[in-house]
Amino acid sequence: MPVSRLLILCWAALVTLSVCTVLLAHAGASLSIAILLVAVGKAWLIADGFMELRRAPRLWRRLMLSWALVLAMLVGVALVLSR
Amino acid sequence: MSTSAESAAAAPGHLPGDLAMWFFMLAELSVFALLILAFAVTQAIKPQMFSDSRLLLDTSTGLAMTLGLLTAGLFAALALEQVRHSRPRRGAALLLGALLAASVYVVLKLSEYRHLLASGLGLEHNTFFTLYWILTGFHFLHVLLGMVILGWLAERCRRGGFDADKRSGLESGVLYWHMVDLVWVVLFPLVYVLD
Repeated sequence: MPVSRLLILCWAALVTLSVCTVLLAHAGASLSIAILLVAVGKAWLIADGFMELRRAPRLWRRLMLSWALVLAMLVGVALVLSR
Repeated sequence: MSTSAESAAAAPGHLPGDLAMWFFMLAELSVFALLILAFAVTQAIKPQMFSDSRLLLDTSTGLAMTLGLLTAGLFAALALEQVRHSRPRRGAALLLGALLAASVYVVLKLSEYRHLLASGLGLEHNTFFTLYWILTGFHFLHVLLGMVILGWLAERCRRGGFDADKRSGLESGVLYWHMVDLVWVVLFPLVYVLD
């Protein structure tokens, strides 16, 4: 698949997930973990798609992917503790 | 020429841009991570205040700003791809498109800031808004710097300053913009949505 088409698909997925975030928020506060997972998905799409880390050295890719994952996990723990 | 450029871009183990930019982004992401965690921990301590204050923000505006930033990211990535195929003029036009999409975010953000200030919801209103202004203000400054970089890249591209073999500066600048997007996709749900 041409790179340009891949980038447009990546953008379309990001837009869809952004709309999902708002829909999940309207559906109920109990879906916070799902909203965080969507955020991680979007961050990974940006890292692997736009930043081209899918074929980059493993260390950098892992660092960037884990930034969003670890952050979302810590935010999730904070949210659960507040209930 | 474009064939060698394509294989260079797609080669496994190739890190786009300058290594210094990756270390810079790592430092920036660490600072943002601390601010985001500060926001989340304070929300855990004062959940009711955060829940009530969040109702004063417009989620639809937040979504529109997200779409502006992501669209700018797409245009910037497409511009890089055009330069890799030795089409710098198309690259320059796409970078201007990225700048235009980014300005949608700026206009919306400034209108949100103006509305909040007019309603008396400034930095000192409560803890939620103190963190809201620090976190989104810091990100806003990064967007502005990103736009200056995009504008400079567009001009250099138009003048033929980048080509398929000489594009590391362009890659680094475009990466900076993607980092701004990366921070926003975590920041947006945390500030506007998560209760």
